[in-house]
Amino acid sequence: MKSKLTDLKTAVQKVTSGSSIAVGGSIIRRQPTAFARELIRSGVKDLTIYGYPCGLATDMLAGVGAVKRIEAVYTGLFEYGMAYNIRRGVESGAIEMIDFPEVAQCARFQAAEMGLPFLPTRTLKATGMAQYNPEMIKEIVCPFTGETMHAVPAINADFTVLHGYYGDEYGNVQWPEFRDADDLDPLMAKAAGRLIVTVEKIVPHSEIVKRPNSTYIPHHWVEAIVEVPFGVHPAQCDAFYDEDEAHLEYYQECAKDPQRWLDEYAKKYIFGVKNHEEYLNLAAPPYRLAKLIVR
Amino acid sequence: MSTDSEYTVNELMVAATSRELRDGELGFIGVGTAGRAYTLAVGIPMAAARLAQRTHAPDFTIFWNNLLSPDLGQIPPKLTQDYLTRWPTAYQPVCSADKNGMLARGEFDVSFDSAPQIDRFGNLNITAIGDYRKPKVRLVGCLAQTDHFSFVKRPIIITDLKKRAFVEKVDFITSVGYLSGGDSRIKAGLLPYGPWKVITEKCIFNFHEVQKVMQIESLHPGVTLEEVLDNMSFTPLVPGNIPETKGPTEEQVKLIRDVIDPNRILLRA
Repeated sequence: MKSKLTDLKTAVQKVTSGSSIAVGGSIIRRQPTAFARELIRSGVKDLTIYGYPCGLATDMLAGVGAVKRIEAVYTGLFEYGMAYNIRRGVESGAIEMIDFPEVAQCARFQAAEMGLPFLPTRTLKATGMAQYNPEMIKEIVCPFTGETMHAVPAINADFTVLHGYYGDEYGNVQWPEFRDADDLDPLMAKAAGRLIVTVEKIVPHSEIVKRPNSTYIPHHWVEAIVEVPFGVHPAQCDAFYDEDEAHLEYYQECAKDPQRWLDEYAKKYIFGVKNHEEYLNLAAPPYRLAKLIVR
Repeated sequence: MSTDSEYTVNELMVAATSRELRDGELGFIGVGTAGRAYTLAVGIPMAAARLAQRTHAPDFTIFWNNLLSPDLGQIPPKLTQDYLTRWPTAYQPVCSADKNGMLARGEFDVSFDSAPQIDRFGNLNITAIGDYRKPKVRLVGCLAQTDHFSFVKRPIIITDLKKRAFVEKVDFITSVGYLSGGDSRIKAGLLPYGPWKVITEKCIFNFHEVQKVMQIESLHPGVTLEEVLDNMSFTPLVPGNIPETKGPTEEQVKLIRDVIDPNRILLRA
């Protein structure tokens, strides 16, 4: 095993304009927002985002016009409302949105995980998704039963970006015992080409070997690992901190108006800071973080 | 919503939904977005499931978001994620792919679905209003609603009756109901399921056995047929004799208010 530990800036530099990125987490859970903010500061454009339910990280990227295409099952911020930046992008035609329901999008990651070019699914029959997207949703006949189904293509993203809990310098990432489901992160990790993981905490390898069955992302799959405490703020990371309701509400208040989101929110919290440390000092100083910590 | 009357419309919708749930069944509740959409997608189904458990269907089970059999006797005071994470529950799949397998294998009996657009055949649109390629209003996408309508035996639609929601033809079919009526759903290769009931704040609809078009099943107390038709952009089948929707009993109202949703988390909007 060799060390894959790096810093956020170095990890982000791997991603060039026009890349496709599978983004882990969902909605306001483990959305790799620190990575997204750094990516925005790097100035990349024309990204294709593969998501399951897309949320905060993708909405931030959409807000600065860095996204040209999204393939996902949902875009929104759950109880906080619509993902306004994404919505505007799709309505204006700036973002091409490709819709898949959960069973189908999951099958696409499963195909990649299995090393297959596609998987069949029964969930798209007679849907608008199949009607409008014949390039990616193609009829296929089961050679055993003769049933007509649809084939959906594997998602082979250029990069996969996930936020995890604990990891070591080699890229072994573990989850805590007490947490909610991890959305598609375990599957996205298996399906990944170039996998970048941010984690709340880097621990010594000697801690990892104490419970190897908690490793859901093994070092072998990982290209880079970065320690980013509070790395998904104002989203939420089980066993570490809850969602920052006040910040999310403020985010949404700004995002209703594209200019206000850029001039007020992005100017302050994305472009007005040099790095994640400065962001945290500004957006989530210790007295605020204390209220969010759930450990 | 007045609380002076014997019960609120939300409470009536909870009781009506609850009546459709059977002992031993597995139901799927999805996530909702803010406000009223949340009450329709999450709040009413959750309260209905608990009411069923407390009355006629003690072994009715739900899968909510990522949780199988969360203890509905301990609904959290808030639904921010940390409360959900700590909610006593039987099973949290480590990967959501497990849930998709359960859906596609046909393990679910009922699901609860709502939509900003529904047509006479029970097709739903939660993806885009207007032209899909250049939408007037971009909506949330698909989530697992498409999968519910493909694989769940009796999807129950819970939505408010509005002219702009109940349309002649949905702009985009996110979830296939009875497609274009009759046997068109079967001919398209879908399973012989389809939406079971449509529960609104004014009335309940079902679907005609053969034509597979929406028909009025009952009107809520105090609601006229005219009022229902005025709030729809198509005319449903109207039987000659329309019964009144049975309201919740005093015991059900007490259960909803005092036991199931004392903090008005579920039925707040």
